[in-house]
Amino acid sequence: MSSNVLADQAPAFTERSVDLEDRDIRRARRQSQVIRLGSIAALIAVFAYFSAVAPGFANLGNIANVIEQSAVLALLAFGMSIVVLGGGGDVIRGGIDLSLGANLGLCVAVFAVASNAGFSDWLAVAITFGTGAAVGLLNAIAVVGLGVLPLLATLAVMNICAGAELVLTQNTVISTNSPLLGSIVGLSWLGLSVTDWVLVAATVVLIVLVQGTRWGLRLQAVGGQRQAARAAGLRVQAYLAGTYVAAGLLAALAAILQAARLSGSSPGSGDILLSVVLTSLMSTVFSRRLLPTIGGTLLSVLFIGSLINGFQLLNVSSYWVNGVQGVLILFVVAVRSLSTRRGGA
Amino acid sequence: MSASVPMGRPIGAQLVRVTTPAALIALFLIFAAISPTFRTPGNILHILVNNFSLPALVALGMTLVISAGGIDLSVGVAADIAAMLAVTLMEHGSGLGLSLIAGIGGALVVGLLDALLITVFGISPFLATLGVLFIGESVQQLATNGGTPIYLVSNYPAAGLDYLAHGQILGLPLTLWLVALAVVLVQVLLSSTAFGRHLRAIGAEPRVAWHSGLPVRRTTWLVYLLSALLCGLAGLLLSATVKSYVPLSGNAFMLDAIGAVFVGTTISREARPNVLGTLLGVFFFGMLHNGLLLIGWNFYWQQVAIGLLVFIVLGISFLSRRLQTAD
Repeated sequence: MSSNVLADQAPAFTERSVDLEDRDIRRARRQSQVIRLGSIAALIAVFAYFSAVAPGFANLGNIANVIEQSAVLALLAFGMSIVVLGGGGDVIRGGIDLSLGANLGLCVAVFAVASNAGFSDWLAVAITFGTGAAVGLLNAIAVVGLGVLPLLATLAVMNICAGAELVLTQNTVISTNSPLLGSIVGLSWLGLSVTDWVLVAATVVLIVLVQGTRWGLRLQAVGGQRQAARAAGLRVQAYLAGTYVAAGLLAALAAILQAARLSGSSPGSGDILLSVVLTSLMSTVFSRRLLPTIGGTLLSVLFIGSLINGFQLLNVSSYWVNGVQGVLILFVVAVRSLSTRRGGA
Repeated sequence: MSASVPMGRPIGAQLVRVTTPAALIALFLIFAAISPTFRTPGNILHILVNNFSLPALVALGMTLVISAGGIDLSVGVAADIAAMLAVTLMEHGSGLGLSLIAGIGGALVVGLLDALLITVFGISPFLATLGVLFIGESVQQLATNGGTPIYLVSNYPAAGLDYLAHGQILGLPLTLWLVALAVVLVQVLLSSTAFGRHLRAIGAEPRVAWHSGLPVRRTTWLVYLLSALLCGLAGLLLSATVKSYVPLSGNAFMLDAIGAVFVGTTISREARPNVLGTLLGVFFFGMLHNGLLLIGWNFYWQQVAIGLLVFIVLGISFLSRRLQTAD
């Protein structure tokens, strides 16, 4: 109880006079612009470097390849960004979904098993989406219904999903073939594969949904100022629950692309989790208000994807990839926090 | 305070706080009823040594970090780097003492890096330690050619290493004594020192702590160094037990430690991390692994069961906490 009283009074310590705030906001806006342009410049510099040095990097086929390899990560990171947007940026108390990687693994396994059990493609797809949504719903029940911290709730759900995947697959590779998977791999239009088009479509739909509709605007209100959103009559709980279910559905969509790429299910899908967290949080540097955005998430994913691809073309050991990702995120976040600190304090 | 509290509330508060211990006791009784092996003293000791000690060391460090309002995703890296340095040195003929000191030194470097990023560069603990985790994984992969384990086969200080892993003092394993030492250290630090008070103040209200002139930076440095020290110890004990270094094996500690600390917060009135709660949480996880195995559950189903049980315990305690504050 006493801690709640303290927390209610806490904002009083940080309030400053209005004109001071005004100046701060202007300065912060200028700085976030610098960061954003700097990040985009870094992205262009990496592209330019690899195009100059790595043979075949700037080749159209290779770019399609990068997008293809990034699609699964991008869809999961979109889900994470939506959850973070709705829950608020505080990683421990705000929104985060640690179950996304395990959910992906479970959905791939469910699709492979359903497909091998003789279900038609569309039924298998429906079951997969049902699984993804159910996992999202479980997160929503824990976070919204029971009030468990998102970090913990999704951690427990992650364990459940990873266990369920093991039960289904017995920790083995399950190969599967179906007309749907075949056409995902085989078909292409304008030089882009089905996977690429799914990513493009998902990006456009989500950008419109999050940045262009009333739902998206209200979602951002819920994430930014939950008390104010509640006072304004928004059904905060429904919005929060919606973000977890949306993330679950995106994991299911990613699972079908993954199943096509790997021709089935193989253990270890959950390892993608940290990259999902990384790219989603990194997306904030591409946004004017330092919030996660869909476009920024896509840029981060493509940035990481082209780094990995460039390294492959240059024959740099893949063991460097994690380290470079780590340094990168630290660099980007340090620049951001140092500049905002100078503005704030 | 007590005058304004409705009559029902204290009882409700007690109920929340007994959720975790009650679940622990209930499961203990269930396992004991089904499996005669489970309830033998030998098996309880086995749980303590093999399923409890090392995660407990890591989780104690995590208790400090989370009390201070942070989080440490690099615990596995600290444990792994310690094991990697010590095992590599021993493989090349170094003495036990030098290897262990080098291992602890390596772990402390990880803690230093965390603290540097958090205090000097102002990066949030989650992102800072996540970055260190990525870098630590790369370092290990580069050092071991992609993750090849290093086994100690011959020409290493076998006697000393055996003592570290299986030695006994007064009839109890050395490992348990080290855990006891760490428990006392962390408990005393948290409850009876200025450092502990500062740390809890920073965790509860960072801005207020800063404006009150508490040594926020110094405290943060110490917290992450202590966490890394305990993780390094866990890594060294692990490598002494398995006589090898397996790259990235420490990552298994991370989520369990975070889970244990937060499960432990459910027994505290203010929902704060605390040593006893953390130990209960770690024992809860350890007992589940051991108990489910002994009652014959398939390894894969164990993970589902553990996830579900943690989900239920967290759900009950957070829900009742919410109902309490709502009425």
